[in-house]
Amino acid sequence: MKSDQLLTKTAINVDDILVKRNRDKVSHSIFFMVIMALVLWSVNVTIIEDTDWERMGSLGEVLASAGRFIGVDFSLIPNLLEPAIETFMISCLGTLLGVIICIPATWFGALNITPFKPITYPIGRFMMTISRSIHEIVWALFFVAVLGLGALPGIFAIGVRSVGFIAKMSAEAIEDIKLGPIEAIRATGANRFQVLLYAILPQVIPQVIGVILFEWEINIRRSAILGLVGAGGLGLVFFRQMNTYNYHGVTTVILAILVIIIFGEIVSHFSRKRMI
Amino acid sequence: MDSINKRTSPINSISHTKWKRLKYPDSYISYCLWLSALVFIAFSIEYLNIPLNRLLGMMGRMGEILTNRYYPPDIEYIMDLDYAKSILETIQMAYLGALFGLVATVPLGWFSSFNMTPSRRYVYPIARLVTMSCRAVHEMIWAILFVSILGFGMFSGVLALTFFCAGFAGKLLADEIEAIDMNPVEAIRASGANLFQVMIYGVFPQIRVAFTGIAIYTWDVAFRAATVVGFFGAGGMGWYLKRNVLQIETERVTSILLSILVLVLISEILSALARDRVMRMK
Repeated sequence: MKSDQLLTKTAINVDDILVKRNRDKVSHSIFFMVIMALVLWSVNVTIIEDTDWERMGSLGEVLASAGRFIGVDFSLIPNLLEPAIETFMISCLGTLLGVIICIPATWFGALNITPFKPITYPIGRFMMTISRSIHEIVWALFFVAVLGLGALPGIFAIGVRSVGFIAKMSAEAIEDIKLGPIEAIRATGANRFQVLLYAILPQVIPQVIGVILFEWEINIRRSAILGLVGAGGLGLVFFRQMNTYNYHGVTTVILAILVIIIFGEIVSHFSRKRMI
Repeated sequence: MDSINKRTSPINSISHTKWKRLKYPDSYISYCLWLSALVFIAFSIEYLNIPLNRLLGMMGRMGEILTNRYYPPDIEYIMDLDYAKSILETIQMAYLGALFGLVATVPLGWFSSFNMTPSRRYVYPIARLVTMSCRAVHEMIWAILFVSILGFGMFSGVLALTFFCAGFAGKLLADEIEAIDMNPVEAIRASGANLFQVMIYGVFPQIRVAFTGIAIYTWDVAFRAATVVGFFGAGGMGWYLKRNVLQIETERVTSILLSILVLVLISEILSALARDRVMRMK
């Protein structure tokens, strides 16, 4: 009886599967045709119509103008040390500031620990979204307007920009925690804050540190361009080399940025190994 | 009396060493690490010449600037047809950049995954280096480089986004390929398949869903980057932003920023929905 039922069930299922497969085939082909049409339309608008083909010239000229960048300006290297250290420090302090700002954002934005859900949860989510959706260049422009030129607006731009990612990942980690330790700590008579400190924090700390290190790596490359809008560091040197048409110098600055990023990646690799 | 003393003495001798989370060498190492972190922070504040006194009045000044200069957003300015066209261009640029980047990602991810790379000694390190340098150079720098090589226009923006997306998605894809189950790969290899066949029949079915997720995420990130690559002349709405920032038309800047915020929110909701659907397909 049972196997009979199973058989009829599978028989029906086979038909269903065939029908579904045919339907899927049609919908897939329509989907791909729409995508191809969009691609062709976008290529037509962006690449064919909007490009100044005469200015670009032939392929040889394009390669020649790209070839100007090949080469290293060795005389620039001694001048790069100070901006490189500055960039590195801006990224460190910016990440630190981001971590500090992200404490309330995470607290408000994690569904299971938010103090008063109808008000604080949207506030936390809004902080995360606004920080992630505005580009670091725009943040830097805003903070340069408020704080004046120098490293300080860069630090603030990086800090505010990195809140979104750190807070979102930490809030997700907090929403996934085990409830046992919370109950145990609460049973000993701890208040809300103590529960936060002794039951929730130890469970998420390894994940959060991983996220912070990842964001720090990204922040190094972000802080390397903030100089473009007046926030110090390697970006300023890059901009100056570009404006003086010293193409070899541009390549040198890019190589310097690569060196700091590799350094940051090595540091974060080892500290991740140590901590987790 | 004597017996009580005898009984309590070992307890006493234990209890006057206080319990610590970290034992002898670790506690000092942790203390030194914290101390050096603090010294580093103090040193960098000193080195970067940060005027800490400016921080005190910052909140008040920020509120003042926001309410006086940026507050009533000039909505009429962004209701313009030209501006709508630039939004469409931005979306197209992000779409094409992400697409080309993803096309470039497939070989890059393949070559830079340690378990599937054709040659661990030659191809793997080169592919890793290419992915890393694409990712390490910021999209703005790519945009400036391409503008200086190819001239103004969206083509430069598309290429900048392509390089950025290739680096971004390449790493994610390589990580995904490194996490696959090697048994099907082995089985297909044992049946005499060549490199491409192993890739198509052994690896691709396993990473299909993850790759779709990566593609959606990449599009999302590319759109956010596309809103500002125009800042240095690579097309899209970034150019409007730059022009108004330079002309100190702050109310227009606010409205442009608001429009960026709304668009990013829409794209984020769309990508969350799409990713949900893909996850359900799994």
